[in-house]
Amino acid sequence: MKILVAVKRVIDYNVKIRVKPDHSDVDLTNVKMAMNPFCEIAVEEAVRLKDKGVATEIVAVTVGPKAAQEQLRTALALGADRAIHVETDARVESLGAAKALAKVVEAEQPGLVILGKQAIDTDNNQTGQMLAALTGLPQGTFASEVAVEGDKLQVTREIDGGLQTLELTLPAIVTTDLRLNEPRYAKLPDIMKAKKKPMDVKSPSDLGVEVASKVKLLKVEPPAERQGGIKVGSVDELVDKLKNEAKVL
Amino acid sequence: MNFELTADAIAFQDAAHRVSAEVLKANAKRYDETGDFCRESLDALGELGFWGMNLPDAYGGFDPGSIAMSLAVEEVAYHCAATCSSLTAHFLATDSVLLGGTEQQKQELLPLCASGEKLGAFALTEPGAGSNPAEMRTKAVRREGGWHLTGTKHYITNGAYADFLVVYAKTDETQGHKGISAFLVDRHTLGIQFSSPEKTLGLRGSHIYEISFDCQLSEAALLGEEGQGFATAMAVLDRGRVEVAAMSVGIARAAYDDSLAWARERVVAGKPLCRHQGIQWMLAEMHTQLEAAKLVTYQAAAARDSGGRFSLESAVAKLFASEAAAKITDSAVQVHGGYGYICDLPIERYYRDARITRIFEGTSEIQKIIIGRAITA
Repeated sequence: MKILVAVKRVIDYNVKIRVKPDHSDVDLTNVKMAMNPFCEIAVEEAVRLKDKGVATEIVAVTVGPKAAQEQLRTALALGADRAIHVETDARVESLGAAKALAKVVEAEQPGLVILGKQAIDTDNNQTGQMLAALTGLPQGTFASEVAVEGDKLQVTREIDGGLQTLELTLPAIVTTDLRLNEPRYAKLPDIMKAKKKPMDVKSPSDLGVEVASKVKLLKVEPPAERQGGIKVGSVDELVDKLKNEAKVL
Repeated sequence: MNFELTADAIAFQDAAHRVSAEVLKANAKRYDETGDFCRESLDALGELGFWGMNLPDAYGGFDPGSIAMSLAVEEVAYHCAATCSSLTAHFLATDSVLLGGTEQQKQELLPLCASGEKLGAFALTEPGAGSNPAEMRTKAVRREGGWHLTGTKHYITNGAYADFLVVYAKTDETQGHKGISAFLVDRHTLGIQFSSPEKTLGLRGSHIYEISFDCQLSEAALLGEEGQGFATAMAVLDRGRVEVAAMSVGIARAAYDDSLAWARERVVAGKPLCRHQGIQWMLAEMHTQLEAAKLVTYQAAAARDSGGRFSLESAVAKLFASEAAAKITDSAVQVHGGYGYICDLPIERYYRDARITRIFEGTSEIQKIIIGRAITA
């Protein structure tokens, strides 16, 4: 079985996000970029399925600028066999990414597509679901466990009330939650070997899709500064403040 | 000089950044406080291939180039300078084998060093011979079927934890530096005694030892050719100084980043510290020193890969970056005020850890001698 894994280039999770002085966007100047942590979990799951003999080939794909090849290379170092880069400098949102990925799915015909449930930049949590809609494939989102048996896929999902287990017929789409696995670190020798693995670069027009967002970004504001807390003298005072000041009771 | 980093260099930097931030950072404070050897962090790096960064493919490494290596060393030092010191001490040992060993010695030993199975130590310095290695008193005398090694080395990083030591010794006492040869000594050789680790100002997780030798070595223990030891050691130190420069940059960058973040957050007299001109100028000075230190380090790394001599470039990088790290870590304490002085924050650790970079692998004064001789030759 072939697995397609989507990865996204985002600001490293260790970096404190800063807004540009003119509020036009988040400031990316000299900011460390990395693979979205949920995408790392997706790559790891694919590699584990290959280690178990379930998968025979892992194809990593990204939609983004030239520099996003760094993240594809990380995926290759972690165990992907080849990569597809849909190169664009446009601001891409969920639907644009899903359209491009749908074309890649059509061309590659993978048995399973694994994506992160969301990217930590804009946290939209939409691309996997949109890809399922566009391709007509069954989806299991927020996966905390994945098991392949023949042409069936058991996906344990983390939902509000607890855990839900679905059985999907392959080919299918899975989005990963945090607890699916703990990703490994790339080994330096594998990073060197990764550059010998094939990377196919395509433009959105090669795929016949328009990926640029139709949404106009007007203004970016940092979250409001958190005010210091206060100490209350009694339970009565606490209840009073919750009722009349915080208005949560 | 091309300022664009290669894809390899970026990939190495990323990989090192990741393991440093997630594994090394978690152990660094404990190593400093308890003085425990940085075993877990060092082994984590070994499993991921970091122990072989200085070695070519032919010997189990994958030589990514010195700039990629410097960037990775910098990332390691950023979160744990002690682990960085033990790692680069291992490089001094394996560089000694790479530059001075016979083909058979390289084939037998280096792949195990690259894969994280064998840790090395570099034993050159003696109580009476630091900046003046030609005056060393450790000696190896030919005895039936091999060598009899006697003497004392000190300040040997990794010492008792190393699987093997590269020991420099006089094989001809009538000669100065030309009488020095290098030996590969297995840690378990009969007649080696390790002191308890020295108590140190900084790098407390990277132990240094005094080691005394009175042991019989086989013929095969001689590293390469007799009398070549000094030339090997000097070539190894030229390479090692690029790594000390990178380590200095790593410590300095950590101190600078923390200071900048602190100055943005901490409010004094109604505005953040960074809006006070006195602090802003300190940050500007730190930033400038750091950027300059990075550039001389990358320049030395590029020179190291060029194939020619690079003693001058590596001495410049080591001198400038270590002195810059001292200034930057000192300023970091100042920017943090009392918070920089207490041990809750890592600032005072950066200050202590940076201090040795002006001393080991040739003091700043020795670097000036090297630079002075090179530019007036």
